[in-house]
Amino acid sequence: MTAVTELRGVSRRYLRGDEVVHALRGVSFTLSAGEMVAVVGPSGCGKSTTLNLIAGVDRPDEGEVIVCGTDLARAGEAELVTARRRHVGIVFQSFHLMPHLTVEENVALPLALGGRRDAVRVLDLLRRVGLEGRRGHFPAELSGGEQQRTAVARALVHRPAVVLADEPTGSLDSASGTAVLRLMDELRRQEGSALLLATHDETIAAAADRVVRMCDGEIVAVL
Amino acid sequence: MLLRTFFLRPVLRRPLRFVTTVIGVAAGIAAVVATVAASRAAVASLREGVNEVAGRARLEVTAPAGLPEELLGRLLPLTGDAVVVPVIEEIALLPALGDAVRVLGVDLLVDTQVRDVEPDAAVLASGRAANMLLVGSGVLLPQRLAERLAVRPGDPLEISIRARRRTLTVAGTFAPRRFASVWDRVLIVDIALAQELFGKVGRLDRIELVPRPGITEARLTAAARLLLPVDVTVEQPRARAAAASRMVRALQFNLTALSGVSLFVGAVLVATTLATSVVQRRGVLALARSLGASRRQIARSLLTEAVAIGALGGALGVAGGVLGARAALTSVRSTVAAVVRGVPATDIRLPLWLAALGLLVGVGVSVLAAILPLAEAVRTPPVQGLVGERPAFLHRPSRRRAAAVAAVFAVLAVALARAPAWDELPVAALLASMALLGVLLVAVSPILDLLARGAAGPLARAAEGTPIRLAIAALAAGRRRASWGAGAVGVAVALAVAIGTMVHSFRTTVIDWANQGMRADIWIRPLAATTGVQVGRLDPEVVRVAERLFGKDVIDPFHTATAYAGTQPVTLAGGEFAVVARRGGVTFRDGRDSRAVFAAALAHRAAVVGEPFASRFGVCEGDTITLHVADGTLSRKVEGIFYDYSNQQGMVVIDRNDFLRHYPDDGPRELALFLPSGVDPAAARDRLLAALGGRFFVEALLNRELRAEVVAIFDRTFAITRALQAVAAAVAVLAVLTVLFALLGERRRDLALVRALGGTRLQVAGVVAAQAALLGATGAAGGLVVGLAIGFVLVKVVNVQSFGWTLRFLPPWPSLAVTGALVTLACLLAGLAPALAAARMHPAEALREEG
Repeated sequence: MTAVTELRGVSRRYLRGDEVVHALRGVSFTLSAGEMVAVVGPSGCGKSTTLNLIAGVDRPDEGEVIVCGTDLARAGEAELVTARRRHVGIVFQSFHLMPHLTVEENVALPLALGGRRDAVRVLDLLRRVGLEGRRGHFPAELSGGEQQRTAVARALVHRPAVVLADEPTGSLDSASGTAVLRLMDELRRQEGSALLLATHDETIAAAADRVVRMCDGEIVAVL
Repeated sequence: MLLRTFFLRPVLRRPLRFVTTVIGVAAGIAAVVATVAASRAAVASLREGVNEVAGRARLEVTAPAGLPEELLGRLLPLTGDAVVVPVIEEIALLPALGDAVRVLGVDLLVDTQVRDVEPDAAVLASGRAANMLLVGSGVLLPQRLAERLAVRPGDPLEISIRARRRTLTVAGTFAPRRFASVWDRVLIVDIALAQELFGKVGRLDRIELVPRPGITEARLTAAARLLLPVDVTVEQPRARAAAASRMVRALQFNLTALSGVSLFVGAVLVATTLATSVVQRRGVLALARSLGASRRQIARSLLTEAVAIGALGGALGVAGGVLGARAALTSVRSTVAAVVRGVPATDIRLPLWLAALGLLVGVGVSVLAAILPLAEAVRTPPVQGLVGERPAFLHRPSRRRAAAVAAVFAVLAVALARAPAWDELPVAALLASMALLGVLLVAVSPILDLLARGAAGPLARAAEGTPIRLAIAALAAGRRRASWGAGAVGVAVALAVAIGTMVHSFRTTVIDWANQGMRADIWIRPLAATTGVQVGRLDPEVVRVAERLFGKDVIDPFHTATAYAGTQPVTLAGGEFAVVARRGGVTFRDGRDSRAVFAAALAHRAAVVGEPFASRFGVCEGDTITLHVADGTLSRKVEGIFYDYSNQQGMVVIDRNDFLRHYPDDGPRELALFLPSGVDPAAARDRLLAALGGRFFVEALLNRELRAEVVAIFDRTFAITRALQAVAAAVAVLAVLTVLFALLGERRRDLALVRALGGTRLQVAGVVAAQAALLGATGAAGGLVVGLAIGFVLVKVVNVQSFGWTLRFLPPWPSLAVTGALVTLACLLAGLAPALAAARMHPAEALREEG
């Protein structure tokens, strides 16, 4: 299968006061098209940092982060923006919807930011996530599950090669969480996107094609 | 602990917001303190000029055109009960100083018993000095003035008296026994010399009475009245001081009210800051409530912040106000001096009460502005009850409520604008202006809501407008803070538009008035002080020289004196009606040709009156008016009412011959020359000045020069209003900056998300900049509408009630459009800093912070 994302020897350090924190140390792995990979590990092991690097909202100190052929570690601002607009979709733990935009506007946002419009695609996704009837509502008027389904539709609206999901069920009850996961998996398959899922929940990880286990910023096992 | 959590910590973490708010309050307080201090200083010089100069005199005998000297003899029986002191008090120009001085003519032998001044020992000891003072042209100067002019005893001192160049001899100096700046501009001469200099031989301006020990004022008054004619007044000096202060009361009130608007904008800024601070700390407040904090504790912490802002802003404002007052004094003094005809300068002093008041107003305004944010803070539920953000749009009941409140304010404004003046002051009309600002503040929120609704819709349908749509949506979501920001801009724009409209209406009216009414070819008047204020009158010889050169038929000497309508002082003037009836003059309210009106007035021995007089005393054409004049009473029918923007207390003009039957010829205030056609005015002026031969300090202005000067004086008078306008505008820009940084703080996560979803830095900056421009444009649009309404109230109500002036309502449309555009641009520029901050934001960190 074609690799849509590849991390080679990636390290990331932060300064916390005077202390240097090693968030990632020489991490390497590959994500192929259509594949679902779960990154698991305790809090602070580097899961979110890995996702941020692939999303192009953070840069490594060392190594390469290649997304759809572009090394984001060395890419300019314009290339990073293009990568985020075209190749990557993101689902956050706490949904991160625009509170002052409607459901439909939230889903259309990644297209609009690129100067594109595709009302048919937006409505199709809303129908598929079961929110067609709530398209005019604001996030505050939705349940947590509905908000996360909106976020899933938004992550897929621009047909990204990679969908990144950071603890997507962390803010949901188990029934809603299961439903969202099932939906993400189903849509991923239909769309052909790769899904990289960060979680500390082993049962969720069990559904993935592969599991990358991390600890203290390092990959300790790939199962 | 709570204080640290809710007040100190946030202030220390984000000091810029706190500092900008303090500066905003300080600017408002400074504007008020500067205006009050400057106008009080100018007015205080009137009061001091009477009270200090009066010294120990407890009573004074006066009459509208002064007193015949024989009255001194009539008061001889009083000498056992009081020291009886004759006084001449006049204004003259000291060319070396470029300013007016008060010339006090007194009986030097008895005067030390009256006034608190101490001639220097050398004067008392020197027979030469005494001789100079009593029989020569000797003058005593205050020490400070002598030092400033670098003159010593024996030196000549040139002075312009009734525009005539006179040379006195410095006999010595004196010092006030206690500090009083009024003495810095007083020259003391013997009364006989003063009578000769001012053409008052055989006459006195007043007789002062200093009661001897054990004699009461009441007893002395009763005794004096028995000895004096009935048309002579016996009263305390402070009554004259009060009358002088009353003349500028309306001016002082209007200036103070105007400066209050800057303070109002400052209050909006405080409310904006506190409101945003409450919203930003909502989560923390909710958590504190969950952990047991009471509503009272939360309220106390917010009030502490308000008091701190007010106290710091008040203290800075008081200090800034003193500096501002020094800058404003020249403008205010010129205006006040123009009203009362020549007031020497006085120092700016900051009385303790004004400093304390500035501080208290700062705190009071901040606490008042904190009320709404406070209500929101104490309503914050515990964290368990905290729900997500409210929907972006206003509910229908909220919209209706806002419309109803705005309508109530509007109705109130109309009712107040129609109410009569309160104690001759336009209090109700100015409250109407405040009500109109209320309409603006209430209407801003629904306007932003309408804007958001208009722009709402799927992004897919308006992809190219994404930053604007996001900006509108963010403003709608943070509508309460945005409303305060747009409100502050709106108030500043309204103020600018209202004042601009008033000044433009006034300026255009005055220019038209000058063009139509000033028809003489040359004006001759005494040299003005550097403040632009005319000092004193013209010597009668100037009239005689002009008559000799050009003939009586073309000369219009204009005399003025004080008369009384009841107990109210008014200006009685005398002009050559025969000349004006041929050549035309002022514009009459009923549209009649001025030549016809003056001809009729001359034929019927009638008067024409200025509009302020007619408004003040409810006089119409055809009515008969009665004035108390020098030699009794004067009753005249009113032939016409003319527009008059040169006088506030009211002017009655009668024919010059009629005038001189009641008042002695002390010389006219000015002289107008109507040259025959074909005569070159410039050449005629040269002839006149040559004939006057350098013996007089006069200005001879051609028609166009005088008209240009009218405009220059007008612009100088309104300089202070423009300064106040600038202060309000600066405070409004601070408010926008505060709101934008607050909205940026609130929407930090959203902006980070835009970046994470593929938005460029430019798009993110565009969202913030668009918010700034939208805030500015909304405020500017609302401010323009409300400003025009307030301008109408100022032009049609406040001016009429304050000064009796009817003005045309003439908004300066092009400059209003420029004001709106400039304010929007200023807000856009103010938004650049937060826009850059937003563009530099690291999305991963912003999202992690919140997640």
